[in-house]
Amino acid sequence: MKDTTETDRAMSTQNDVKISAKGVQVYYDKNQAIKDVDVEIEGRTVTAFIGPSGCGKSTFLRCLNRMNDTISICRVEGDILIDGEDIYDPRVDPVQLRAKVGMVFQKPNPFPKSIYDNVAYGPKIHGLAKSKADLDDIVEKALRRGAIWDEVKDRLHAPGTGLSGGQQQRLCIARAVATEPEVLLMDEPCSALDPIATAQVEELIDELRSDYTVVIVTHSMQQAARVSQKTAFFHLGNLVEYGDTDKIFTNPEDPRTESYISGRIG
Amino acid sequence: MSDTPHTSLYVRSANVAKRNRAGNTLRYLGLGAISLVLLFLAVLLWSILSRGVPAFYQYQAQIELFYDAETLDPDGTLDPEEIGSRSLRSGYERGIFADSLRATLEGNGINTEEFKDKDLSNLIYAANRRDVRDSVVENLDLLDQTVPFNVPIASPVTRYLSGELAGVDRSSMPPGIDRAQLDLIDQMVEAGLIEQKFRWNFFSNVYSQSGEIAGIGPALMGSAYMMLVVLVFSLIFGVAASIYLEEFAPKNRLTDFIEINIANLAAVPSIVFGILGAAILITLKNLGFGDSIRGTALMGGIVLSLMTLPTIVIATRAALKAVPPSIRDAALGVGASKIQTVFHHTLPLAAPGILTGTIIGIAQALGETAPLLLIGLSVSTGAELLSSPLTGGLLEQTQSMPTAVYLFSQNQDTPVREGLAQSAIIVMLVLLFALNLFAIILRRRFERRW
Ligand SMILES: Nc1ncnc2c1ncn2[C@@H]1O[C@H](COP(=O)(O)OP(=O)(O)OP(=O)(O)O)[C@@H](O)[C@H]1O
Ligand SMILES: [Mg+2]
Repeated sequence: MKDTTETDRAMSTQNDVKISAKGVQVYYDKNQAIKDVDVEIEGRTVTAFIGPSGCGKSTFLRCLNRMNDTISICRVEGDILIDGEDIYDPRVDPVQLRAKVGMVFQKPNPFPKSIYDNVAYGPKIHGLAKSKADLDDIVEKALRRGAIWDEVKDRLHAPGTGLSGGQQQRLCIARAVATEPEVLLMDEPCSALDPIATAQVEELIDELRSDYTVVIVTHSMQQAARVSQKTAFFHLGNLVEYGDTDKIFTNPEDPRTESYISGRIG
Repeated sequence: MSDTPHTSLYVRSANVAKRNRAGNTLRYLGLGAISLVLLFLAVLLWSILSRGVPAFYQYQAQIELFYDAETLDPDGTLDPEEIGSRSLRSGYERGIFADSLRATLEGNGINTEEFKDKDLSNLIYAANRRDVRDSVVENLDLLDQTVPFNVPIASPVTRYLSGELAGVDRSSMPPGIDRAQLDLIDQMVEAGLIEQKFRWNFFSNVYSQSGEIAGIGPALMGSAYMMLVVLVFSLIFGVAASIYLEEFAPKNRLTDFIEINIANLAAVPSIVFGILGAAILITLKNLGFGDSIRGTALMGGIVLSLMTLPTIVIATRAALKAVPPSIRDAALGVGASKIQTVFHHTLPLAAPGILTGTIIGIAQALGETAPLLLIGLSVSTGAELLSSPLTGGLLEQTQSMPTAVYLFSQNQDTPVREGLAQSAIIVMLVLLFALNLFAIILRRRFERRW
């Protein structure tokens, strides 16, 4: 038995599975928001979560970096493994986990501090920089990754809240990548943005794919089709269908997926 | 279309007219209420200022004070201790003042033959004998010297000078003053020996029954020390309690219970805290600690802290609550721990609100009287505090601004009751307004930044 699990694990690393969830149930008090979800999310891939409002996409996403811990009534059951390690194991400190699994929120939420401090905060508290010059490098690299360096390089000490919505969201992405996470979770990152800013962020997500495992929640079918390689369709807390984005959008297996994509539920 | 009657917009319908009338009534009611409030405020300020401001000024006589060695040091010991230990009751100071005043008057060509020593010394406040003796103790060279000296005019004479007794028949003057004396006063005024001066020493002198030399020095200092105690205690405990309740405590029956009780605490009348403080003092006394902290700024500060705590907790929790949850998410999302989130982000963002609440709480505490009377902040003149302002600050008996106002208003002397009490109120109001202004500036300076 033990041998086979070991082999499985070796196999799955080969298949480049980054996150693997098994039998995940999430309850808010007595309400079950996620019902028995199994999913394997591949590394260096963009995976999209789609589904009607209230189906549990955000809830599931927040399980992946244990942001649900902050909600006292929320209870998570089942196993979620990242690189084969159970992130709900008592030995795991969520603070360390969140450095490895970064998050970008629906509404841009820069700290009311300077652009520089926004990005530098994570590396500072995790002790990633040995010197000021080191920190400067990290900040610049992160801002370049966030595709916002050119716009802010002359005003790094201006407040982050003074940027436009799209710039703020890219700043938040830069902030998230500054801690060198391996996984990036994005909950509807473009819902507050105009089409031009959305296009910029989408382009960015596509670039991030080369280094990170990206999981993105979106309400826009077009966006899911544009940026993701894998798509998961949630409905009433169930993971209804999970597979290659092309297949889900062209030839879904489940009738519920079909009707959602064609606009009949949601 | 054609069967609905045409209504012109130029003609106001009955319904609209009625609604407008209701609206106007309400507006005039509101205006009336505000005018009434402003009127009360104006009356209040006028009554305080009209009596308090003149009381900041005092009539003083300039005399040539002769430090008579024969009286001050009859044995010629030249020993400061010996001079300082001489009884204050011997009345030699009156003699010194009377002699000096007589000499000064004669020097100005005013005849004083018909006046006895007592008649002269009654005109001025000849009771600041401590001053005369103490300055000699400090500086023996003064003996047998003549030094210009400002001495306050006695309170009944002050009333005459300020025109208060203008219409009164000179035969029914206050006790101890007669026509001849008043004529003498008139002569002194003519000779320029009496001047009206701002009483700077009102801010530094200790409390006294005698209005001529009474001051609010210890009261100011006591209030300042108490504010300090309140600031330290209630800010530390208040902020710590609020952070725990707002950021860490689970939401359950117990925390609900605590919350309700904090709100209740804010509504407890202040005298109840005074009684609690008095009970503590009695317990301490029974335990053998004596009266060591009765009437001290420390005790007053602790009692006021208890009162201010709920205000600060409520303000701090409101300020913490006003910090958007997205900021907390952002911090947690980059891997900050809960404590880091609070101290790096939430608390700094809530700081202006917390400070404003704190200042308002402290301003409340500054004006609180009843509990302080109960724990003995009106029993001492505060002389001990004044003699050791830094070391004795918290642990010497003292007064506070509101208790000083209370004491002034209970004085049997009308000028003190009606003048100095108002002056002390003015000082207290100025301090309060300054605090509130500071709170407003803080709030403006740190307007929300998200
Ligand atoms: N903090 C919470 N407390 C209680 N119930 C919650 C909480 N957050 C979410 N839920 C419930 O869990 C279910 C899933 O919510 P979730 O936010 O995950 O949906 P979603 O798919 O992200 O929806 P949307 O697309 O509108 O963002 C909903 O029924 C919601 O009412
Ligand atoms: Mg959501």
